[in-house]
Amino acid sequence: MDRAGFLERYEALPLPSTSDEHWRFTDLRGFDPDAFSVNGDRARQAGESMLEIDAAGVAEATEGAVEIVQAPEGVTFAPLDDHELLGTLVGAEDKLTAHNAALWKHGLLVQVPAGVELAKPLYVRVGNSTPGGTLFWRLLVVAGEGSRFTLIEESASAEPELESYSNAVAEVFLERGSKLEYVSIQNLSRGTWHFATHRARVDRDAELDWVAGGFGSRKGKVTIENRLAGQGATSRVTGAYFADGDQHLDYDTLQEHEAPHTTSDFAFKGVLRDRATSVWRGMIKVERDAQRTNAYQENRNLLLSPKAHADSIPGLEILANDVRCTHGATVSQVNRDELFYCMARGLSREEAQLLIVRGFYQEVFDRIELEPVRDALQSVLEARLLAA
Amino acid sequence: MALLEIKNLHVSTEDGTEIVRGVDLSVNTNEVHAIMGPNGSGKSTLAYALMGHPAYEITEGDILVDGESILELEADERAQRGLFLAFQYPHAVPGVTVASFLRSAINAVRKAKAGGEDDPIKIPEFRKRLDAAMKQLKVPKEMAGRYLNDGFSGGEKKRVEILQMALLQPRLAVLDETDSGLDIDALRIVAGGVRELVGPEMGALVITHYQRILNYIKPDFVHVFVDGRIVREGGPELAEQLEAEGYETFTPEPVGGEA
Repeated sequence: MDRAGFLERYEALPLPSTSDEHWRFTDLRGFDPDAFSVNGDRARQAGESMLEIDAAGVAEATEGAVEIVQAPEGVTFAPLDDHELLGTLVGAEDKLTAHNAALWKHGLLVQVPAGVELAKPLYVRVGNSTPGGTLFWRLLVVAGEGSRFTLIEESASAEPELESYSNAVAEVFLERGSKLEYVSIQNLSRGTWHFATHRARVDRDAELDWVAGGFGSRKGKVTIENRLAGQGATSRVTGAYFADGDQHLDYDTLQEHEAPHTTSDFAFKGVLRDRATSVWRGMIKVERDAQRTNAYQENRNLLLSPKAHADSIPGLEILANDVRCTHGATVSQVNRDELFYCMARGLSREEAQLLIVRGFYQEVFDRIELEPVRDALQSVLEARLLAA
Repeated sequence: MALLEIKNLHVSTEDGTEIVRGVDLSVNTNEVHAIMGPNGSGKSTLAYALMGHPAYEITEGDILVDGESILELEADERAQRGLFLAFQYPHAVPGVTVASFLRSAINAVRKAKAGGEDDPIKIPEFRKRLDAAMKQLKVPKEMAGRYLNDGFSGGEKKRVEILQMALLQPRLAVLDETDSGLDIDALRIVAGGVRELVGPEMGALVITHYQRILNYIKPDFVHVFVDGRIVREGGPELAEQLEAEGYETFTPEPVGGEA
């Protein structure tokens, strides 16, 4: 299908509604993608980066451009154009992915040849700054056989209250025996409708270690899907999110085991304050041939106010008979006795709550290998928690 | 003026059941008071009420520290005034290490003392004090890096309670059944830790079911607590009498009409 075909498809398809199972708790009323201007050119880069990182490659993307600030040696780190793998993992399956397929202009191609190991991470900042604009973002990552590297993607807005629409698609390919650490942090403005579809295909003996941080945006949905396509493939996804005010975050995850002896391990923790709401949906699918699969899925939510609300929906669909799958989902409030215990040591109610929340996240932070990423996530969270 | 004065204290649970039914007690620094009573007599409720647990309501009477009522104060403010409760069932704080929790608590108390200004303890000084206290209480070094009470054994929890006490340096320590779950060696170490701290700077209120811990802590005063009240008071000999005769002797005679 060409661009015109995608556009036709976009126009023909309806926006998802709450009668679609996956959108049951994410109501898009009030959102009109056509009300936003497309590919604005007066875009500028978002403010300060959250990360202090010494990167091998740096790219900056906005509504109007993608710029390679620093190109690493020996790998492709370039504006995305046509590519044989483009659209093979994420097509135009619904209105939103069709919209991206039809209209994206600025994307990034990261292709690391077989056997290449990068000591320093690759880093791309994606930012929106055009009031009433649309940020289409397209990322294509190909980790060649046996390659090892880290890619950090940070999305942020130039203004904290910017009204915008963001639509991102990432297609990530891990070829045999490669190892990729992919960090995707979203800290967009509270006025940004944010939709993202991230899909990864993990081949034989390859290892994907994914960190997802969600702090910004108004409402939308982030889809994270991993296909364990080759024997011995592993994927680990660690998520941390925080929302307050009227924010609504939605994570829709899929662990799809197609090959035997594959492992997936998804753990998300979220904290909600004020009237913020979240949805987390997890699905472990194990195909008939995917024997000896190990799948783990966990989502824990902590509510800091009586009006905050979290829906957590784990799911299993298992066709193989020799597998180990475990899952857990909880929504809880700060335990009164735990709070009292901390206060009895002299910590104020606020300090005690902050300590408990930090502790709550610690378990997912413990899973993050990159120190600058851990520090950045921690400091974003601290700032948000203190800005009561 | 006593450090802690409890006056005609009545405490009820959230459903209105009266558990503590008129307690008078004064504790000073340099004193160890033991409250001994059978299970279910309301000893722990008294401890929680002293610390300000929101599940317990003071329906009558008063609690004074340095002559000032603390009834309106939240638990943190009570701690900042020098009250400390060693919990019978210490709560886990997952994700927060013992060292980090203690440093936060010390800094909170220091901040209160500095009139609300941050006055954090320097990390080397904190480390030194923590190491010394851990050594004295024979708490293995690696415990400092473990998440507080998360997966700790009963005995580990109790030791870490006393470790917290040693570092927070309260003026009045309330020990709620600290002896339960401790083997004899641990008990000796913990009791030694408490005894060491009692002096011109600190008094202690030791709540217990058994005399065992009192063999090591040596109370100056013993109060027998039955059915929400102190029914007998005396010196250390009273604890021995209790051990020999049991609580039966001290159970108040049922009388016609509730007093």
